[in-house]
Amino acid sequence: MKKAEGVIILWWLLFFTLHAEGTSYSLPGKPTLTNCRSPEKETFTCWWEPGSDGGLPTTYHLYYRKESSDAVHECPDYRTAGKNSCFFNKNDTSIWINYNITVVATNARGSTFSDPVEIDVVYIVKPNPPEKVTVNVSWNKSWPSLRVSWDPPQKADTRSGWITLIYELRIKLEGEDKWEEHPAGQQKMYNIYSLQSGGTYLVQVRCRPDHGFWSEWSDSTYFKVPDYFPQERSIWIIIMIFSVFIFLILIWAIHMNSHTLKHHILPPVPGPKIKGFDKQLLKSGKSRDAFSSLVGSDFPPTTTNYEDLLVEYLEVYIPEEQGLMLEEGKDLHDGSLKSKSYTSDSDSGRGSCDSHALLVDKSEEEKEVGQKSNQQGGRTEMDLKRPEESPEENILNYSHANVGSPDVSCEKVKTWPSLFSPLTENSSGPLDQPDSPEMAKQHCLSDSLFPPSPLSSPFAPPGHKEVLGSNYQEYSFGNMHPHVLHPQTGSHQYLQAHGNMNVANIGHKGVPADLQLPPVRSTEYVEVQKVNNENMVLLYRVSSDAEKGCPGRRHTEEYSRLKGVNNDNGLLLLQRMVSEEEMNICPYEDQESSGLTDSGYTTSTAQKSTAYIPPATQVLDERVAGGYVDTSMFTLPIY
Amino acid sequence: MTAHIRPVCAVWVGMVCLVFCSRLSGMKAASICGNAQAECHFLSLANLFDRVIQHSARMHGISNDLHSEFELYFLPSKNQVSRVGRNCHTSNILTPNGKENAQRIEREELTEVIMKLLAAWRDPLWHFHQSVARNHRFNGYGSNKSLEMSDMAHELRKGVQKVVEKMQTLGVISNSVGGLASPEALLAADGSGWRFMKDSDLLYCFRRDSNKIQNYLKILKCRIVPEHGC
Repeated sequence: MKKAEGVIILWWLLFFTLHAEGTSYSLPGKPTLTNCRSPEKETFTCWWEPGSDGGLPTTYHLYYRKESSDAVHECPDYRTAGKNSCFFNKNDTSIWINYNITVVATNARGSTFSDPVEIDVVYIVKPNPPEKVTVNVSWNKSWPSLRVSWDPPQKADTRSGWITLIYELRIKLEGEDKWEEHPAGQQKMYNIYSLQSGGTYLVQVRCRPDHGFWSEWSDSTYFKVPDYFPQERSIWIIIMIFSVFIFLILIWAIHMNSHTLKHHILPPVPGPKIKGFDKQLLKSGKSRDAFSSLVGSDFPPTTTNYEDLLVEYLEVYIPEEQGLMLEEGKDLHDGSLKSKSYTSDSDSGRGSCDSHALLVDKSEEEKEVGQKSNQQGGRTEMDLKRPEESPEENILNYSHANVGSPDVSCEKVKTWPSLFSPLTENSSGPLDQPDSPEMAKQHCLSDSLFPPSPLSSPFAPPGHKEVLGSNYQEYSFGNMHPHVLHPQTGSHQYLQAHGNMNVANIGHKGVPADLQLPPVRSTEYVEVQKVNNENMVLLYRVSSDAEKGCPGRRHTEEYSRLKGVNNDNGLLLLQRMVSEEEMNICPYEDQESSGLTDSGYTTSTAQKSTAYIPPATQVLDERVAGGYVDTSMFTLPIY
Repeated sequence: MTAHIRPVCAVWVGMVCLVFCSRLSGMKAASICGNAQAECHFLSLANLFDRVIQHSARMHGISNDLHSEFELYFLPSKNQVSRVGRNCHTSNILTPNGKENAQRIEREELTEVIMKLLAAWRDPLWHFHQSVARNHRFNGYGSNKSLEMSDMAHELRKGVQKVVEKMQTLGVISNSVGGLASPEALLAADGSGWRFMKDSDLLYCFRRDSNKIQNYLKILKCRIVPEHGC
């Protein structure tokens, strides 16, 4: 019972005390020192924050203690710095000494101590903002330059070196939000560039000691940038002028080299380079006239090397026996042939067989002669310019006889008055009956059969005989066998006689094989290709191909080589041998003697297939008449 | 063409030489030491002061960094009470604690104070570096800083010595200022109280003393050569 009453009383008292505290006063709250600052490192101020006052009036006291002494001092000045502050003046301020500062809040109930704070004045310096911020405008070659200058805060003693301040300024355009900050170091002025012309700017400066806090920004100083001509525009003008200058130079350079540039870019179209072609006529619209000039006189060209087209046929007679030949020649001359031969024109260069008539006559005569072997032989011999053996003459006669109407159609056969081959007469026969006009276009080989035996062997390699196998009935070339001439009246129409040594092979188509004729001395026609520079008449054998034209003259290959001139002023010509090819394709006679120019010599190249070089014929000058060599005058050694 | 090149080249070379020579002479006129010896000496003294002041500022910066780092890592409690009992070994050196005091004191005395301070810190700094390197308290950064701090203190001493000599030759201060071998300096250096200091206290003390040195040098400069940046 007592205990319960005691507990109740105890609880009751406790309750009252608690209740009394809630409504009554209490100790003040704990104050806190917020910060202490020194503006010039000579004085400093501390501020505190009071706590709750506890309902009672509370007083605050600041006590401090210096580092090296234990004496407690109270704040000397509570008012200068405002409420809840303590200002330490110069006398009370010691640098490089720790201050232990405590604030005590006291009310009727009691006191409350704040947490102590240790400070060293050196490290709490926060100067005042710089003063007298001014902006000066100076003109530098139409450029305004702005110089911002200021003074250090008044209290800070920088002159004695006690405080070293570092400055910083910031600037912005009026109306903008972003500041442009510039550190200025320890200098008290600053130059500003690149400002807008006519703009209004704000500038502020602040400072701080080397180990301390930044000051507040100074008050804004307004200034207006004067109007000026921006340099950038002038630079652009200079650039424009420079570029225009360069452009003009380029134009001038292009103009100077316009011609070459045109050639590079647009190469000129080559104009027509046709002889006799007049562009102007074409331009004028008269195309007919323009082209007519081409077609007209210039074609066939007369200014070309006439000698290229010069075609001359020479009858080469290789008489076996000169006497016979001469005799026959005389007879021949007495004949109408002679007259006709004389009447034969010197139609050099004409590709037509102008001597058809002549040949016809001759062939007729040949026929007549041929009927009689002797006569034929004589005829042939007559025709032959060379003296030949009589049997050969017979053979020749035979050949002539068999020939019948030898078909030799060759327009280009030309018979010279002195050049005559009996075969040409024979060949002229078929000319009477030309099978086809096409034949006339072809070279005519009118050969006179020569006694082949003595001549055959040296003439050509035996191979020739074989080559001509298919086409030629019998062909002996280069051997002593008599050459057989089997002129046919077939379609071949070619009578080709194998000449003597200098006579190339004579191909006969369709020559009857059974006809064995001794090699007949035959006159061969050669075609004078041209007269070269050395006054050489290039001859080449006229080849006749019945079915197909001779593929072409082998101008350059067909000429007789002059071996030499004998004592009697005779030409020694080398017999040229025809290659097998040529024989196959275009069998023709190799010409050993050729027409002679006034002073030229005929040369015949030795065939490669020919090992033997027949002796050259001799040309008798006196027989030369009209520039043509009478092969009948030639004397061929018979091998 | 070639005939014209040679004289033109010679003329050009001559012109270049003239330009260079003129520039050189101009540079001579604008050199630090002008014709007047006094100007040259004062200019060089101010230059010396500037260099020394910069050096001391740098030294103080390093010590400040080290101190803050030390407090951050090794004294997180920030118990301020313990600091009250702190006592630097250089307390016996009377140093002006205010601006008036510093301005009132003579230049020679101020110079001597600087010298004493620098002398007093030569050995403790070296010892501190050895301790840091041995104990691996700090990281590599701290170890390098302590070594750098020690070296800078040593160099600053030599630099200040040069300045003193310069001032004495100029007659700015009397020759009574003792050098490194002065008795006061020796006494200050001889004190072994620093051996018992903790590293934290040592750093704290050195930070303060380096600031003193820097400040005293600035005052000295602005008192002797005020027209150059004061």
